[in-house]
Amino acid sequence: MTNGQRWFVRKRKWEQDMNDELRFHIERQTAAHVAAGLPREEARRQARLQLGALEGLKENCREQRRGFWLESFYADVRYGLRSLRNNPGFAAVAILTLALGIGATSSVFSAVDRILFRSLPYPRADQLVSFGLTAPIERNEFMLGSNYVDWRLAPGPFQSMTSMIPGVANCDLTQQNPVRLLCARVEGNFLPTFGVQPVLGRNFSPDEDRPNAPRVAMISYGLWRSRFGGDPGVLAKTISLDGNPATIIGVLPADFEMPTLLPTDILLPEALDEAVQRRSAPGAVLRTFARLKPGISVAQSAAALQPLFAQALQGAPAEFRSEVHLSVRSLRDRQMQDARLASWILLGAVLAVLLIACTNVANLLLARASVRQRELAVRAALGATPARLLRQRLTESLLLAIFGGAGGCLLAYAFLRVFVTIAQQAIPHLGQAGLDGRAVFFTFAISCLSGILFGLAPALHRPSPEMLCGKEARATARGLLRPTLVAAQIAISLTLWTGAGLLLRSLWNLQSAPLGLEAQNVLTETISLGAYRYPAAPQQIAFFDELLARLKRLPGATAVALSDTLPPSGAMRSTIYSAMEVTGRPRPSEGTGGMVAWRAVTPQYFAALGITILRGRGFTSDDQAQDQHSIILSDSLARRLFASGDAMGKTMRFAQVGPWRTVVGVAANVKNNGLAEPSDPEFYIPWKNEDNQYFRSASLILRTSVDPRTVTDWLRSETAALDPALPVAIETMPQRVGKLSQRPRFNAVLLALFAGMGMLLAAVGIYGVVGYLVAQRTREIGVRMALGATPPSILKMVLGSVARWIAAGAIAGWIASWFASRLLQSLLFQVSARDPRPVAFAVAVLLLVAFLSAWIPARRAMRVDPLVALRYE
Amino acid sequence: MSPAVEILQGTLDLLILKTLALEPMHGWGIAQRIQQVSRDILQIQQGSLYPALYRLERKKWIRAEWGASENNRRAKFYTLTKTGRQQLEREMADWKQMSTAVALILQRV
Repeated sequence: MTNGQRWFVRKRKWEQDMNDELRFHIERQTAAHVAAGLPREEARRQARLQLGALEGLKENCREQRRGFWLESFYADVRYGLRSLRNNPGFAAVAILTLALGIGATSSVFSAVDRILFRSLPYPRADQLVSFGLTAPIERNEFMLGSNYVDWRLAPGPFQSMTSMIPGVANCDLTQQNPVRLLCARVEGNFLPTFGVQPVLGRNFSPDEDRPNAPRVAMISYGLWRSRFGGDPGVLAKTISLDGNPATIIGVLPADFEMPTLLPTDILLPEALDEAVQRRSAPGAVLRTFARLKPGISVAQSAAALQPLFAQALQGAPAEFRSEVHLSVRSLRDRQMQDARLASWILLGAVLAVLLIACTNVANLLLARASVRQRELAVRAALGATPARLLRQRLTESLLLAIFGGAGGCLLAYAFLRVFVTIAQQAIPHLGQAGLDGRAVFFTFAISCLSGILFGLAPALHRPSPEMLCGKEARATARGLLRPTLVAAQIAISLTLWTGAGLLLRSLWNLQSAPLGLEAQNVLTETISLGAYRYPAAPQQIAFFDELLARLKRLPGATAVALSDTLPPSGAMRSTIYSAMEVTGRPRPSEGTGGMVAWRAVTPQYFAALGITILRGRGFTSDDQAQDQHSIILSDSLARRLFASGDAMGKTMRFAQVGPWRTVVGVAANVKNNGLAEPSDPEFYIPWKNEDNQYFRSASLILRTSVDPRTVTDWLRSETAALDPALPVAIETMPQRVGKLSQRPRFNAVLLALFAGMGMLLAAVGIYGVVGYLVAQRTREIGVRMALGATPPSILKMVLGSVARWIAAGAIAGWIASWFASRLLQSLLFQVSARDPRPVAFAVAVLLLVAFLSAWIPARRAMRVDPLVALRYE
Repeated sequence: MSPAVEILQGTLDLLILKTLALEPMHGWGIAQRIQQVSRDILQIQQGSLYPALYRLERKKWIRAEWGASENNRRAKFYTLTKTGRQQLEREMADWKQMSTAVALILQRV
């Protein structure tokens, strides 16, 4: 016998016993009444009456049975499943709604959690700040060495301040199996300031942080595991970095990350020479961080630094003074920058979707409850207690929530994969985002709660016996609740649509903004030569010459060029405008004048990227000769420098160094600060093969007559033929450009996705409510039609009653959109938040959808047959 | 029917335990005994007697066995268990304390 059979036999025996016991009771009571003189029939009746409703009594006894709870739960589940199966439409819509709500919310929360709520991997991270100067040319805090060495003598509001050389540098581990690594140089107190302890070994000592000290290094946990197999004996080992020996003194913790978030393999001492910094003012550019004293706020510390700042400003070059500001920001703010606003907006959008989903489920359950009033009345009449009915309803709500939750988890996983694909590089930490258990649980709980709450509300009032005859209770307060929920849904979806419209329009502007170059059919390869194998100019020049010569042999290549940097991303060399010197004209003295970008390019650069030469000519190989000093200006720079005449033939130089150069041409403007930021003026100088004009890293540009992807492998093998160990990054130009719009695309696609979901859900909600209203008023409509109302007038009546709620929702949504679009303003590119068109468009779309989803069930009202409707009564 | 008093919530358990302390008894017998001993003042809602018996059985304060009744029919007899006896003592003590307290208040006010 199986467990189930045994259980069944035991249960039948138990029932049998209970029946026997009660029958015995009735017999004895009857006998007693007979003995007291009642006729037999009457005695039996009395005995039964005294015991009360027999089925109810039995149910009460069963409740006392061990395992009853589990049994009845099982029965409830079976019953719930059956009732869901019998209403597949209701079940599908409710489950899908929940799944969408849970899936969207959990996935966005998981993605955003890493940005907004992730705790930084440092103890007391709230005390950590990035401080220093900011300028239009550098938005992240920095300091100049000459000031920093003074400031650190009296840390003022800080427990300690520390510094590092900006960025990370390529460095080669040059032993057997050489690898390219990323090295950062930090001050001796860097790790203690951040509260980071090495997992192995020790931090830099003050002596090791001096210039010309014996070289020591700390290695990352990842490098320790991969390169040294996690060997504890790695300490005191000597490694060869770019050909120089360095002793390993410590291993960083596994969760260590640089405050600048740049991946780093090795930390080296900064070895700042105080004397040199003072002498060569302004000195080196440093990134500076500090830990606040307890109880001091970021604003207070900024105020405390003001005197030092004023003093530092005195020594600054005049043109900088008006543009430099003091800035102290929490480390979190510095790391998140503009991802923060976008994250909050996404979170808000997704919570709005969840809200719509919850109201939808609530509406569905309310509608279903009113349909089931009769069924409940029957069950109550048969002896079900209110508690038992309540539990039954609860089980059904929970079943819905469980199915919805399971679907939601799958959807959340899928959504998250989509997010990562769209915007892995644009959003910090997104790549590491996994589905967050707390998020799933949280949204699951919210959906369950709303389901239970609204599922129970109608169940709480005991069904009255009069419902048995099919008469429905008159509309109660719930008659108001449902349309209000619909109005709220409309308002929320409208807001989402407006936001999505604005972001999509902005994305469109961004992608259709002219770049100034032709990205199609261009392949780029970025190469960075290691310091060990290419220590000096001759080797580097030889490498690039050889590579260029090889690539020119490719039959499909129409132009091959070399440049130190590539537009339109913002990574390029630049100088300030006020450093530009034109022959026979004094230098401008007020302000920096902003940044001017420059690149060193080979003659075919303009042809390869499709940049138009507006006046004059491009570079020729003659310009690369040692004694030629030519320069090409961008249109914007030419107009600014030579407002009153032609730039051609004028001579100029920059940064007070280098030779005077002759302007030989003017090129069209090219975007060079990313897609959204305004571009800087730009100039080009010829790439030359001389010792002071070479670049360790450069990009090859290949314009092909065929699809550039077909030559990718060939390009890779040609490079490998020269140096197989060289890491290269090959991308087509459209890929490079596409990366720049990743973040806006991520925002726009997501918001559009949510707006779409929101509208779908709202449409379902309206459909359900109108359908319910029509069903409830069937008899009334029948009477009206019997009295002569035409079908169109009935349709008008039904739609009219819904229209009021839709209009109310639209007005509320319009107001909410107004606020939402102001919030979005800083994310928009060439779109005004005041532009009424997106809102108007959203209203139009929404009204259309709303009326469509109301019209379908309303048509049913039109087709009501008065005969059928009235026979009902 | 008669000037019967509704049994206070929670006292039914106590009355059942006390009744069973004398001898094993079936359900109908328990109801009769309580009525008789209280001189018909306490009228047990028979509908609530059986759920109470099942509850006490689940708590292992009483034990049920099928046996022959006084008129030789198959009937279910309930017996007080050891833990049931301890529970009875506890509840009686509580009851005495409670009724004394209530009586005091009723006299005073």
